[in-house]
Amino acid sequence: MLLLNRLSKSVEDRGRTIPVIQDVTLEVPERQFLCIVGPSGSGKSTLLRLMMGLTPPTSGTLYYHGLPLDGVNLRAAMVFQSFALLPWLTVQANVELGLRARDLPDEECRRRAAYYLDKVGLDGFKEAYPGELSGGMKQRAALARALAVEPDLLCMDEPFSGLDALTSANLREEVLGLWADLALPVHTVVMVTHIIEEAVLMADRVVVLTSRPGRIAADMPVTLPRPRNKRDPGFDEMVDSIFEKIV
Amino acid sequence: MSESRPSPRWLPAALVVALLALAALFVGPDRVLRLAAEVAPREPALRDLPAAAGWSLLRMTASYLASVVVAWIAGYAAATRPGAARILLPLLDVGQSVPVLGFFPAAIYVFITLLGGGRVSLELAAIFLIFTSQVWNLAFGVYEGLSTIPHETRAAVESLGVRGLLLWRTLLLPACVPSLLYNSILSWANGWYFLIACEIIVAGPVKYDLPGLGSMLSRALARGDLTLAIGDLIALVGVVLALELLVWRPLRAWSRRFRYDTQSDERVSGARTLPDLALPALVRPLRAAARALWRRLPLARLNHALAAIGAGTVRAGRTLRRPLLVLSAAAAVLALVAVGAALRPPWPAEAASLPLALLLSFLRINAAYVLALLWIIPVALWVSDRPRALRALSVVAQVGASIPATAFFPVLVALLVGRFGGMEFISIALALTGMQWYLLFNLLAGVGRVPQDLRESLRALGLTRREIHRSLVLPACMPSLVTGSVAAWGGTWNALILSEYVVYRGHVYQVLGLGALLNRATFETGSRSLLFLSLGLLVLTVVSFNRLVWDRLYRYVNTRYRLEA
Repeated sequence: MLLLNRLSKSVEDRGRTIPVIQDVTLEVPERQFLCIVGPSGSGKSTLLRLMMGLTPPTSGTLYYHGLPLDGVNLRAAMVFQSFALLPWLTVQANVELGLRARDLPDEECRRRAAYYLDKVGLDGFKEAYPGELSGGMKQRAALARALAVEPDLLCMDEPFSGLDALTSANLREEVLGLWADLALPVHTVVMVTHIIEEAVLMADRVVVLTSRPGRIAADMPVTLPRPRNKRDPGFDEMVDSIFEKIV
Repeated sequence: MSESRPSPRWLPAALVVALLALAALFVGPDRVLRLAAEVAPREPALRDLPAAAGWSLLRMTASYLASVVVAWIAGYAAATRPGAARILLPLLDVGQSVPVLGFFPAAIYVFITLLGGGRVSLELAAIFLIFTSQVWNLAFGVYEGLSTIPHETRAAVESLGVRGLLLWRTLLLPACVPSLLYNSILSWANGWYFLIACEIIVAGPVKYDLPGLGSMLSRALARGDLTLAIGDLIALVGVVLALELLVWRPLRAWSRRFRYDTQSDERVSGARTLPDLALPALVRPLRAAARALWRRLPLARLNHALAAIGAGTVRAGRTLRRPLLVLSAAAAVLALVAVGAALRPPWPAEAASLPLALLLSFLRINAAYVLALLWIIPVALWVSDRPRALRALSVVAQVGASIPATAFFPVLVALLVGRFGGMEFISIALALTGMQWYLLFNLLAGVGRVPQDLRESLRALGLTRREIHRSLVLPACMPSLVTGSVAAWGGTWNALILSEYVVYRGHVYQVLGLGALLNRATFETGSRSLLFLSLGLLVLTVVSFNRLVWDRLYRYVNTRYRLEA
């Protein structure tokens, strides 16, 4: 449903043009969990922002459901490493933000925010401010905010990197659960990560980017049966084969 | 949460009455003028005190509101358009460092020429001057607030499709609240300083009158009425402190909500109770009204209109760029010609004393600076390892800095005229009163930031207190000291304009200096060329000194003595 056709992106820095993403062609089919991995500076986050329509490509075209994408993709939603909640709004108001931007009636905003907060397990924290929440709860709130606009594509930029090991393990399981939940509208996920184990644990397919500028170095399916575990046979081999592509 | 507590029932009524009273004051300028005419010519008495305080406060409020609006436009433009930032930021920087008070005579001149010699032109000149003392750091505050929005937060809000008015309400305005508020407190203190100065200048040599606390003070002292002078000072300090307690302090507490802290910290427990405790009862009905209004706004249509206006402005800007450039070039040429005409020889004989006057003013500032450092550095070091004393002194410095030193000028003059070497001593003492709070305030902040573990590690190494002061506290304070020095220097040039030329009991007391020359050019000789010459020299000196000395020192100190990695 998302097609990147020979996408390139470069930035200007003190008069010099620096290529960040070069000539990336990629198709994201519906109902796929796609992970983008690569060394730091490979432009993973930039690629995700291009997919979200937050920044225009220097050349090439993006197609969303066959139509060229121009501007922010309002049928997609994004989750960030730093949670990016507005500290001056309550959790509820943060989740309602995208719905208000879509001019939905008050009633509907409240109903949907409550539904998705319940889905991520933040039922009792509607009136709390983000500053009063732990990191894991903040990321749940950010997840609810993204889900509440009922996107058909969910983009996640290192969503577990800002959390401690235990919290991130828990949240990973929950994200997989939400992805598999047929009652929710979102079934397609693109996630950026620098942790290869995380990618192998979660993804249907892993795309490896090269460093400076980012090109596709490898595009490999992950066929291990779900639910997965780090001790599964074949897990380490998969991690190793991705690791080789990076170095 | 805050909605659950009912607000007092009389509040909306009181609010309406207050608004009506304000409107009555402003409807019909002739009425205001008539009121002014009734107040102006009379010598002030104690019962005029509330009116004087009211006028001063009104002037402050008017100029503050104007400053906030202009600061928003400038700050927003600078933060969103790199082209605008290239022009605006240096402009703001120069505006901040130029001694604005020097322009007061010129401002009176301009407004009186434009609008005639009435009360309105004086009021406008005063408000304009206060405005120029407030607007710069407010604009920097808006710029800072907008440009420090984290990239991911910005992207997140964009990715949700938030645009137009909703974007302003949920992101842009709240993001500016802490820095705008912090700078408002500075601006407000600056404003008082200038307000009092303006009123004193106007009440001094000229027969104009601006009813207010400053003019009342200088008149009272000029005729030797100590009761009125003391009453006036008490009223002034009372108003300043009341504003600090009732307005700024609650607002500061409230603004803590608008900071980004990604990690939860110990402030959390406070954050839950703050909005309720801190919001003055007055704000709640206002907020409810704003919310109700917001809900009724036809958002889609407004956004559409705003977008159209924005696009229209951009288009108009593009088509008008050429004509505008030509126009501003023409204006610049005209201004140059006008200044050239004003500066054309023959210069008055006094012009010959300009270099010496500059040197003397410069020496006076240096003397005040050294005197201030002589007491401030030992005090700051002394409190550096006494946390309780440090906190107490910080409060004192904060209050001291918010009380306009200009108010004490007439008092000091009354006390010191004819004693201790006379005017020379007075002018340095006056410069000192303006300078010391900035220095103390900044130095205390620097002392407070010295990390405890560093200090403890040195103590564990067996260093004595004095050695710790020398090797850690003093170097660590250097950046704050330089920051304070820059502000103090700028402020002191302003103070000199007031302190080198004093009218007391009908006598003019003066010393040779740039400030005195400026005053003489305006109020005695009326020499336009001397006014422009001394003004130009003053601006040139301050700007070049900032560029050549303070900027470099600031950069050096900040690379050499920064504590954080």
